[in-house]
Formats: sequence, C-alpha cells, structure tokens
Amino acid sequence: MDLYAGLDPEAKELVERHEPVLAQLPRTFLVNTLLRIEKWASLFPAEKRYFRALLDQLSALRDSQFKQMFGALAAFEQKTGCGRLDAKDPAMLQQEQLEYLQRQESNFEWRRLIEAIFQKLEPLVEARLYSSELPPRLVVLIYSQGIAIERETLWERFQGNGIRVPLALGSAQTTAPFLSELLSGQPATQAVKPAPTLFRQLDRENISPLDKWLIEAGDELHGLCETNDDLARLGPCATGLSYHRLRPYRRRLSNAIYSRVSSGGAHGPVQLARWLETLEARPQEGLSLYHDRTVLDFVRDILVLGGNGTLIINNSFVEWSSVQVLHRAQPRLLVARFGVRDKLKPFSSLLLFSQPRPTDKIPLLQDPLGSFVDVELETYYIWLKSSNELPYRGKTLYLLLAEGVDQMFALAPSTKAANLSLSSRATLSDVNATMAAWLGLKTGILSGRPISALLS
Amino acid sequence: MANKSERSWREWKTQRRDVLRVIAAFLAEHFLPRRAFAKKIGTYSKPSHRVIIVTFGGGARYQDTLAPEGWRNIPHLTQDLIPQGLLYPTAINDGITDHYNSSAALATGNWQPVDPWGSQPPQSPTLFEYFRKERKLPAEEAWVIATNKSFGLIGSSQVRGFGDRYAANVILPKQLLLDAIQRAVSTDKGPGVENREAFAKQMLSALDEGYEGFGWQVYESGHQISRELKYSLEKALLDYFNDPRVPSSGDTLTFFMTKEIMRRFSPSLMLVNFWDMDIAHFGSYSLHLQAIMRTDRLVWELWQYVQSSPDYRGRTTMFVIPELGRDGDADGNGFCNHRSGDPSCRHVWLLALGEGVPRRAGSERPIRHVDIAPTAAEILGFKAPGLEGKPLVELAV
Repeated sequence: MDLYAGLDPEAKELVERHEPVLAQLPRTFLVNTLLRIEKWASLFPAEKRYFRALLDQLSALRDSQFKQMFGALAAFEQKTGCGRLDAKDPAMLQQEQLEYLQRQESNFEWRRLIEAIFQKLEPLVEARLYSSELPPRLVVLIYSQGIAIERETLWERFQGNGIRVPLALGSAQTTAPFLSELLSGQPATQAVKPAPTLFRQLDRENISPLDKWLIEAGDELHGLCETNDDLARLGPCATGLSYHRLRPYRRRLSNAIYSRVSSGGAHGPVQLARWLETLEARPQEGLSLYHDRTVLDFVRDILVLGGNGTLIINNSFVEWSSVQVLHRAQPRLLVARFGVRDKLKPFSSLLLFSQPRPTDKIPLLQDPLGSFVDVELETYYIWLKSSNELPYRGKTLYLLLAEGVDQMFALAPSTKAANLSLSSRATLSDVNATMAAWLGLKTGILSGRPISALLS
Repeated sequence: MANKSERSWREWKTQRRDVLRVIAAFLAEHFLPRRAFAKKIGTYSKPSHRVIIVTFGGGARYQDTLAPEGWRNIPHLTQDLIPQGLLYPTAINDGITDHYNSSAALATGNWQPVDPWGSQPPQSPTLFEYFRKERKLPAEEAWVIATNKSFGLIGSSQVRGFGDRYAANVILPKQLLLDAIQRAVSTDKGPGVENREAFAKQMLSALDEGYEGFGWQVYESGHQISRELKYSLEKALLDYFNDPRVPSSGDTLTFFMTKEIMRRFSPSLMLVNFWDMDIAHFGSYSLHLQAIMRTDRLVWELWQYVQSSPDYRGRTTMFVIPELGRDGDADGNGFCNHRSGDPSCRHVWLLALGEGVPRRAGSERPIRHVDIAPTAAEILGFKAPGLEGKPLVELAV
C-alpha cells in the first residue's frame, strides 16, 4: 500500500521532503499523522503551520532522541503485532489497528503511549511555532436575550479567575442596541449612521477574516455586520457561522443521514460514522460572511462529525464550533453568541436527525431555564479548553456578557493575580474601547474609554 | 406565546389520557388472566431470594450525583434510599468505559473487552446462565429490561455448556418505542405521534408481529410472544401512556415494563438498564441533569414497588450503580463523552438495599463493578466460579 497516494500535491511535497524520518516512525503513529495531513486542503493556515513544524521537528531529532521518544511505542507494536497490519488506505488501516488493539485489550495502553510521545514532542514543536511574541487575542461570549438568567449564580464557575464589571446599559437593554453599542462602540441613541463593528475596525491592522470569527445561535450579529460593515463595497468583515441561517443546510444533512439510517444503509454507529466521513455535502446556503473551502469543510465537519448534538441543538453548535475554531484556526478575535434552545419534542425527537412531520401540530416550545444551565457550562468549556492552548494562554482577554444584564465578567491575564474589584460602572462603549485597545487598535475615534484594569 | 402553547399542549394531553385510561381498564379487567403463570411456577422450586441490579445508567459523573454539588440532582437517593442501605462511595470501572461493556461486566463479574456496540455476546457466562443452569430454572426467572437498544445479546454468552438455553429474557422497550415512532412518522398521512391514543394502539399492534424486529431475546415460550407475556407488555405500554407525567422517555417505558414483568412473573434475577442520561452526547447539560433526576425518581419508585409487592418485600436485594461515569471537565472532554478513561469516567458509586444489607451504612473500601455478580450469586445461592470480581463482604448474605 502506498500510504501517500491520497495526499494533496502540497502535502505530498511536504511528506516526501521528510520521507526518511517518516519511514522510521512506528506505524500507528505514522498512520495517525498521515490521516490528518490527508485533509490538507481543509486545514486552516495555523494547522498547516503546525504540521510543517511537526515534520521539521521530527526530522531534527537526533537518533537518541528519536529512540527515547518512540522506542516504547515501537516495542508495543512489535509485541502486539499491530504494526504488521495492512489495508488499502490509511483510514482503513487505522480502523484495523484500533479494532485489533481493542480486541487485545491494549487500546488504553496504546493511547497512553501516544500521549506520552506528544508530551515530549509538543513542547519542541510549540517552541518552533511560537518562538516570537504572540499577539493578544480576544474571546467574547454572549448570552442572548430570552435565556433565563439567574443572576445569583451567573458565571459562578469562573469565580476566582476574573472580575465582575458593573455595566451602565443606558438604552441598550435589548438585543439590537446592546450588540450595536458593544461591537460598534456607538450608543444607539447617538447613532447618526451605522458605525463599523470591531470586525471591520480590525481591517486597519490587516487582520484577515479567518482571524476574526463570529459564531451564533441566531443571526443578529450577522445582521449587524450586514448593516454596519458595508460588505458589498469592502467585502466580508469576518468569518461567520449562524446556526439559524444554516437551517436549510442542516435540514439537507439531516435528511441525508436519516434516509441512510432508515433505509438500513448503516447497520450501526460505526458504519454510520464511516459513511459520514465520506459524505460530500458542503454547505451552499446560509453563509453570508467570509467562507472559503476550509470554512465550508469546517462547517460540514462540525455538523456531521461533531457528534455532540451540533445538528440538533443550537448552543451545542455554538460551543463545539467555538472550541474547534479556537483550537484549529486560532483566530485573534472570536465572538460567540448563545441563544435559547428549543425543548425536544416528545417522541419524534427520539428519532435522531428526523424532522418533525409538517402535519404534526405539537407546538415548538423554548427552554429558557434549561438554556441557562447549558450555556453556563458551555461557556466554561470554551474558556477551559482554549486557555490551555499556547496561543491563548496568558494572552487572551475573555469577556462574558448577557444581553440586558448590567454586569460583565472579565478574565484577563491581569485579573487572576490582582484580586481586582471594580466599583464604577462601564458603558458598552467602554467595553468596545477596551476590546479595541486590547487588540492594539487606536481608540481615539471611539466614544468609550478603555477599562484600564483589564488592560494592564 | 409559550404559555398559550403550553396550555393547549396540556389540554390536549389530558383529553388523550382519559381515553387511554378507559382502554387500560378495559384490557386489565376483561383480558388479563390473574396469575397466568400460577401453574408454571408450581413446576419448579422458586428461589427464596430476589436480586435486582439497576444501572443508574447512561453515564453519570460522581460530581453530578454523589458529590455534595450533585445532591440536588438525586433527592430520592440521598434522602430516601441511602439511609435505608449500604453505600460504597467508590466503585471503580476498570474496563472499557462503554455502556454495553460495563453493563456486561456487572452481569458476568468479568471485564468484557467485546464490541462496545453490542454485536457480540459477553465472553464469559452471565449470572443468568449460572443461575438457571444450576437451579434448573425456566427463563421467566431471569430478565434484562434495557433502554439501551444495543443490549440484545447481553442475556447470555456463547460459552460451551451455557448459551441460549440458560439465557435471560431480554427486552428493549425503547426499541419498540422507536420502531413505533418510525412507523408513525414515515408518512404525512395518519395520526403520527401527536395523537397518543392512536400511537399507543400502533405500539400495541406492533407486539402482534413478534419481537425479533425489536432485537428482543425472549425464551419464555419458544419464539412467539406468549399470550401472557403479550398482555403484560400491553399493560405496561398502557400504563406508560397513562402516566400523569406524560412521559416520552425510554427509561420511563423501561420502568413500566419492569414493574409489569415483576408483577406477572416475579423473576428472581433482573438487570434493569436505565439509559436516558446518555443524552449528554447532545451537549445539553440541562437535559442530562433532567435525565439524572428522572432516573433518581424511577429508582425510588422501583424500590417502593419492591416494598409493596408480596413477592419481593423482605426477600429482595437491590444494587444501584452507574455503569460508568463521564469525562471530567479539566482532564477529559467534559460531560458529553465517556471515552477518555480518566478518573471521572471510572469512579462512580454503589448503593445496596434490602435483604442482607445493613441500613444507614457506608464502606470507604473501593469496590469494582465486577464485584456485583459474585455477590448476587452468593445471595441467590448458586456457584459462579472463576470470576474476576469478589463478593462484597459487608453484605450479610
């Protein structure tokens, strides 16, 4: 079997350049690496940089280092015989290997060995990747109006890691003026004409749309950009995903999956997962901001392979997309906005991926209380996962807001150690100025004042 | 808007429930034979003890249940059941942290490295097989009632000398439910699932077509559902549709089926698998917590049923255990999954209740899932040799 046969030309060139070291790698490790590189055309620039650095690092290992790093896995493959397996392509081969290891009750040991390798390898790769000063990053997590906020427990999981900032909302009590002032820095009452959002303002710093993401359950942020950011003349201001706007695409995917399952084309979860991997169905609908092939593949993978209800539950889509974007694309700015989840319909919701029949008249009900419980943990997970990643660690300002709520929670590198408390109220324009200043924008033209405690 | 919708939904449910109640009463009074199995029961020596193993199932983390911050999710366990039994706060799942493997470990006393999706039977004999073989018991004495639809093969191994002839009856109520929903929504014509009365009838009629389509393994009387069993299952279905809480969950149907099987057959050994909380895979923490609370209630109601039944009261030991936990937040992938193998996935708890169990007691000694099976074997008085697990010495069996 030619393991490199399915590679994109750019990836193949990279792999061939490092062929000597790849040929020495234990086979399970090699297959795992190749499977990820196989998706080269769907990788974000940050991921391509990672794989280049990974292969450079592998080639740079001295013999003794290589043995120290991979010796245990090579011995394990020898002992179990899993290194001798073969199949017609890397995907099949990996499947064979995993099933073989499971049958031998060795899969946990194998996973432990792989983790041990990465514990040694990752710091070396990261040192290559992030040798220069990392830029500051900003993550804004918003609860939309309609979620039943319990003020006494709001953001309690973050206690001890940041500070509450009292807000003076003024007239920005509802979604539209709240989002507008937060992202454009201009109170709705003072607006003569729509002011550009932070996404557009960052064009001045030559930050590409793939470095600025907005992900939301509804589509109000998309609407704001369309109104304020002159997309027709200046082009997309950011990469945007709206669960709401992806509805036709979600329905198309659901129908395809449901047809496959109900026609008996997938006899179990494993077969279904294999089929989903091959499903060629990129979105053609619902994307009004920046999208290239990588983004389209990303959306497809999130919805089809996310496996955590991303196709069915709006906030699962927002959370999982955000975690994956921060991990894979490593943007400078992410604004994620959660919404109110629908209650699952009795009975018909038990059929995975099926759409309720149009003739069924069971009313659609929202679950504002449940949504609050969900988004509190989802917000925490986004912070927890991304703050452990090197580009974000110690370099990121996290702002947690809820539309119509007169407080914000901020997690900045300065807030954890400083035990700060803020008594004076900030406006949403001040928050906007803080975000702009954090990202290095000049704030002279903005009406708000940065919150200095968060910037130090 | 939501209030109006909720009101109309409530009114609609109430009307349907009244009709279903009438059907249920009619069925129960005119068709169901009382103690249909009285003759059969007389033909063998029925064991004096009963064991029920309940998986508090679908994956529940310690932090969401037994840890202080989880108590609000298990009010019946903490206030009603734990004071009546013996709590092991540390039960460790050392096997593959998937539902089928973990539940099969409970049923066999050995870790089960088999296909997690249930395409293979357990590798070693189950408790059911040892029990039925040694005591020469009919299949009615051992049952598995499972919400998880991949449990069709959990009732027996294929080990030489054991296998189908000593297997437990396995029924998968949720599979029946899904099958009926599938039929109801496969066309825009017809009542669909919104008309519960018509939907209930559809489920009842499905039972006429046998059971193999649902993945059930019923050995009770050859390969047809017997009249008595069919009536029992029908009764359970109608009770389910009549439930004032208007359930639509698989676990609630499992609960009603379990009660009905207990009422009609009084089996001595049962594995009851609840599974709703695995909805966590959808990423909704609130739905996961709701499922934990529902399981807490169903376990409590099951124990109350045991206490109210002359066939079970004073002679039953019940084990309640999550078959697995779920990933931790910091070290794993969060509550959605259970495959990291981190401590949060493996560390759960066990509550033992009933006969031979000290009340208001606890043991700090860590135990393992495979210890349940040898303990159940000792309680029921049969031999199950060569198990990885060891009997729980704290129980006075």
